[in-house]
Amino acid sequence: MEASLPISATTNLTPTRPATGTSPLGLNAPAIKLPLAFMLTGLAALSVGASWIVIQPSILASYHYNQNVVALTHLFVLGWICSIVMGAMYQLVPVALETKLYSERLARWQFAFHLVGFIGMVWMFRAWNMKQVGHFGTLLTIGVGLFVFNIARTLWRVPKWNVTATAVTAALFWISLTVIAGLSIATGKCVYESTEGLATKGGVSMLITGLRLLAGFVSRFDAISAMHAHAHLGGVGFFTMLIVGISYKLIPMFTLSEVQSQRRAGLSVGLLNLGLAGSFIAILLRSPWKLAFALVTITALAIYGWELRAILRARKRGPLDWGIHYFLTAVALFGPLSLLAVVLSWPGLPLNTFTGQLENLYGFLGLLGVVSFAIVGMLYKIIPFLIWFGVYSKHIGRARVPALADMYSPRLQMIGYWSFLAGLVGISVGVLCGNERVIRFGSLLFTTSVVALLINGFKILSHAACPQIMPLGTSRSAKPITK
Amino acid sequence: MTHPAEVIELDARGLEPPQPLVSILEAVTTLSPGAMLRARTDRRPMHLYAQLQERGLTCEFQEQADGSFITYIRHH
Repeated sequence: MEASLPISATTNLTPTRPATGTSPLGLNAPAIKLPLAFMLTGLAALSVGASWIVIQPSILASYHYNQNVVALTHLFVLGWICSIVMGAMYQLVPVALETKLYSERLARWQFAFHLVGFIGMVWMFRAWNMKQVGHFGTLLTIGVGLFVFNIARTLWRVPKWNVTATAVTAALFWISLTVIAGLSIATGKCVYESTEGLATKGGVSMLITGLRLLAGFVSRFDAISAMHAHAHLGGVGFFTMLIVGISYKLIPMFTLSEVQSQRRAGLSVGLLNLGLAGSFIAILLRSPWKLAFALVTITALAIYGWELRAILRARKRGPLDWGIHYFLTAVALFGPLSLLAVVLSWPGLPLNTFTGQLENLYGFLGLLGVVSFAIVGMLYKIIPFLIWFGVYSKHIGRARVPALADMYSPRLQMIGYWSFLAGLVGISVGVLCGNERVIRFGSLLFTTSVVALLINGFKILSHAACPQIMPLGTSRSAKPITK
Repeated sequence: MTHPAEVIELDARGLEPPQPLVSILEAVTTLSPGAMLRARTDRRPMHLYAQLQERGLTCEFQEQADGSFITYIRHH
């Protein structure tokens, strides 16, 4: 205890923005309901998607340019991954970048557009009704526009710009381009005969003319190449960019370490952007430069892996928990994914059944391997904290509250990890061989992992319904106070 | 700022989130009127401020050269 020490007498203080009185930084992230709504939507979409593969394993055993694969991919990408990522960003960006979310109201509107948009899109992709895909896609795009605006305005307030803020900004740019490319592709597949004679004047006429021009422009490109270019914008530009950028904040936070080289971190994000920009054009134009830009992206990921290793080696925390294990396994999967990228971008590669299966494996490993594994790992950090903070923050210091790790079962978390990994291996082998039975077996293991995640999610959420609050000084075995 | 009657030091560095928040909020319950808690954390404790506000406490924070933060919490 240090008696009568005035603030002015303290040393090593650097001048910063003062936060005197009732702090203006009091409420940074939105209320837990909003990110939680996104996350529960994501978990529901993951459950439906995993069950879909079990029921219809042929989806992954055949070439991916068909209505079921496109519908399933959008269910995973929009329903599962985007829901989780967007919900998490509303929570994490203000906290990680030490600022305040611009508008929670806009975020609530985005949730409504997102939910209706992605459900309608998946439904209409399955029916292969591209006009309705375009309509629901427009709703989703309005939602993405609100999301981009909201996060961009939030970034505007960031007091100290850093590599994470740069990566988030880049991700906003790429997600915007992804939805524009997606809508353009949908427009290109639509025939506007039904509008003949309906729109003869005003804005509607201009819109129809514009859509016809856009459809004509998109039809100049090979359909599959356009789809692959669109997929890379989202997969690399939005998901991978955020995995890399956000982890430069979260991994040091959870392992008690620091970024070891800002230069290395900045280089990884810069090269990732360069590689993607080049890959997008090269894939779209079927250019032999695909390989060169794939190598730029792989170099970016290698530098990222190098920096991540340095961060982990400098950590003050000893053993890593399962959440971090999930995340690091996802990062390790960038290895086989990069190898596949090199093979698939090799100039003159013939398109046959086997290379088609390799493309399936590439997409599967990218979305359900790297991105989903990383997301599940981060969910084990985010959801417990959201509920814990929402339920118990007012009681800290006034009563005994559970620790984060007490809110779920580490055993289920471990079962989830191994069944996820085994499921990925099983499905990958099945996809390579085009064998539906093996894919079904792998997807059952994958579903086991999803069930483990859902049970743990339920355990965590049960704290919201029945808080475990005990008087100070009681042991952990004591009976909680009934709220 | 008037000089506090007593300053309690709390070093919450090296703790995984949300343990710094828990340590600080547990410590503020022991603050006597006029006393001040000087809490040091690895990062700006973003979730702390709303909790202090809710408990009727005021705070100031200052970033250190090494990136850590010192938060001064007063009990009036």
